[in-house]
Amino acid sequence: MTWQLLVNGAVSASMYVLTGVGFAAIYSALRFFHFAHAAVVMTGAYVAFALFQPLGFPIWAAVAGGIVVSACIGCGMELVVYRPLRSKGAPSLVLLLASLGMYVVLQNVISMVFGDDAKSIRITEVKEGLNLLGARITPIQIVSIATGTVALIGTGTLLRFTRQGKAMKAMASDCELSVASGIDTTRVALFAFAVGSALAGVSGILIGIDAAVTPMMGMNVLLMGVIAVIVGGVRSIIGIAAAAVVLGMAQQFGAWYMGPEWQEAAAFAVLLVFLLFFPRGFSRIKEGKATV
Amino acid sequence: MEYFLHILILVAIYVILATSLNLIAGYAGMLSIAHAALYGMGAYVAALMALKLHSPFLVNLLFAVLLTGGLGLLLGIPALRVRDDYFVVVTFGFQIIMFNVLNNWISFTGGPMGLAGVPQPSIFGWSISSRIDFLILGFCLGCLSIVICWRLGRSPFGRVLKALREDEVFAMAAGKNVAASKLVVFLTAASLAATAGVMYAYYVSFIDPTSFGFTESVLIISIVIVGGAGNLWGSVLGAVLLISLPELLRFVGLPGVFAANVRQILYGALLILFVMWRPQGLLGEYRFQKAEAKE
Amino acid sequence: MTDALLEVSGLEKSFNGVTALADFSCLLAEGETLGIIGPNGAGKTTLFNVITGFLLPDKGIVLFKGQALLGRPAYKVALTGIARTFQDLRLIQGISVLDNVLLMFPDQPGERLRNTLFRWWACTRREKEITEESLKLLADAGLVEKAHDLAENLSYGQQKLLSLVCCLASGAKLLLLDEPVAGIAPEMAEKILGMIRSLPGEGKSAILIEHNMGAIWDVCDRVIFMDAGRKISEGLPGEVRNDPKVIEAYLD
Repeated sequence: MTWQLLVNGAVSASMYVLTGVGFAAIYSALRFFHFAHAAVVMTGAYVAFALFQPLGFPIWAAVAGGIVVSACIGCGMELVVYRPLRSKGAPSLVLLLASLGMYVVLQNVISMVFGDDAKSIRITEVKEGLNLLGARITPIQIVSIATGTVALIGTGTLLRFTRQGKAMKAMASDCELSVASGIDTTRVALFAFAVGSALAGVSGILIGIDAAVTPMMGMNVLLMGVIAVIVGGVRSIIGIAAAAVVLGMAQQFGAWYMGPEWQEAAAFAVLLVFLLFFPRGFSRIKEGKATV
Repeated sequence: MEYFLHILILVAIYVILATSLNLIAGYAGMLSIAHAALYGMGAYVAALMALKLHSPFLVNLLFAVLLTGGLGLLLGIPALRVRDDYFVVVTFGFQIIMFNVLNNWISFTGGPMGLAGVPQPSIFGWSISSRIDFLILGFCLGCLSIVICWRLGRSPFGRVLKALREDEVFAMAAGKNVAASKLVVFLTAASLAATAGVMYAYYVSFIDPTSFGFTESVLIISIVIVGGAGNLWGSVLGAVLLISLPELLRFVGLPGVFAANVRQILYGALLILFVMWRPQGLLGEYRFQKAEAKE
Repeated sequence: MTDALLEVSGLEKSFNGVTALADFSCLLAEGETLGIIGPNGAGKTTLFNVITGFLLPDKGIVLFKGQALLGRPAYKVALTGIARTFQDLRLIQGISVLDNVLLMFPDQPGERLRNTLFRWWACTRREKEITEESLKLLADAGLVEKAHDLAENLSYGQQKLLSLVCCLASGAKLLLLDEPVAGIAPEMAEKILGMIRSLPGEGKSAILIEHNMGAIWDVCDRVIFMDAGRKISEGLPGEVRNDPKVIEAYLD
């Protein structure tokens, strides 16, 4: 049983890591919590669903469509709302409030268009799932884990080796210095949103294929993604991945031993422990203790 | 006429929710998206006690206030160590967990099916059954919330809150126990939110988790922001406007099935618009600018 | 054991290998005005942060009126009777000038929830008291016309003056003033210095950090010169000014 829980944990972890890395990309470049990321996750899933089922596109096209639309929606949010706010000098809490508003609007639009019932992106018949050393795992779950890993490696490479990626890392460390050295922060910000939102779309599509597509799907996975980012470190993809794995496991074990209603609580407990006891040399802004 | 009374009762409930959240987010500057969780806690405690213990209304109200106040205190503890955006994440987690507990703990809370059949309340023989009765109750609870928040806001305690929302270091150097003040604010706000929950549970006599989810928390913060964070009458005005305006939509001929969605889109849109063009809201002064941002 | 108001001994503090305080000790008597000078990074503000409880040193003792301060939270240190200003001029910009001053008074029953709700007569009484007191202090400082303006609408010099008024309102016996006249016009500087000069007469003591030498020589009874966290020289203003070690440090 433990092994099954571990396998399930790994599957969940792959979705959290995708959401988390996307979220972290945006946070590290722009220093605010883009809660509407949850809506982007949802958008990717619904668009892929809509392209695949009612409209009959092949699965690869539906997936690609979902990812592209997610990236566009994310960039749209940046261009229409966040950028104007930042140019007025809005503090990060205000950007956060705007993101909450956008989440609510987008979630309800989707709810109106598609209804609230759970849908699923059915690629194949529901199979029994393969047997991996005694644990059940379905092909799509394996794809999840694989996609998660590939996305991680891909994003890591992107950040390290491309010009935009390096610019993002520079912005994350020191925004003013980046501007002074001639980095076009607005373009890099847009790039961060494109990449981050695309990852969110992938995450949503995978959840849609593995489980279900519902208007509430974004919130839960976002919470996990955010926790993974905070625990693992905004700038460390490896850290986020490790944290996502820990969270996935904590959730599965928590649900098994305490009941499904407490599974988020297990992850939340991990978050609190980290925030309260292991500030890990994070920026002072995070700690409530005053520094002068 | 009944419909009009119904709107007024809802306004009363949201006045309580908005003025109490305003204490935390407006006066003390700690943005929280967990207020619906506290609201839900109050509602569920009262409903569960009424249904399972058959205890009287006032007893249920008392317990709801105590338990939710305690929960609010718990929520406030991370606020002492963790600030601003990170604290919002904590409240976010708190809200999601509460919703999932209410939704999944089927044996206790009834899960998605909720709890039905909450009996009519009565206070010392006065049986609250008609809309007018509920409106009177709501009006009293609403006034209570307004009076408490008004006293707090105008008192030296309120001054300490306004100081710590802008510059905790300065407040501490001035000899103010910032931590205790924050906890007191959470305790008070949670207790008030509980009264709104109790009111709601008895009024609709059927509650389920969807009334207390994340979007509900966003609605309440929208009311506070649109009305003006940090201004008591702003919260009242915000509640009146945001609760009654969507009702006008009904008369525009919108399909009923979309009413809830459109309402929420309206709230989200208003939040975005105000945040972009008038962050201090209609009557407020606070814009979530913090002193530490200067560093 | 001395009767010193403030006794600091053996303070040590390093951050990431950089020494901010190295075996720093000093005494302050009642009614004394002590000046602390030294180049940037000498540890002056760190000293203030340690004394006021915002920073814990690696080693050392701080005694105020005979009580040990280290380990107490900053707000409790303030309540023992120490007030301070900040190098980067902290005030509550979003509230009025008067509110800033009112904030500083100790023993306000209205700051406790219980009293605000159930004993409001006691609160009103004290509020009236401190409002009168505040307006008087503001009048002495020449700021009373601005009492109801938002603090952010004052000029920089007026804000520095206000932060000194706040210190006076707190009733603190010891004022720690971090660059009270830096960057402001001479008339305003003179006004602030005048207020500092009258502190001993009111039974208060002060420690000043300043780069403005004229102010230091003018107002301080004693001066300490710090560099790299260490006390290099101490004595009367004239003595320290002519101390070869001090001259050398400034020429470096």
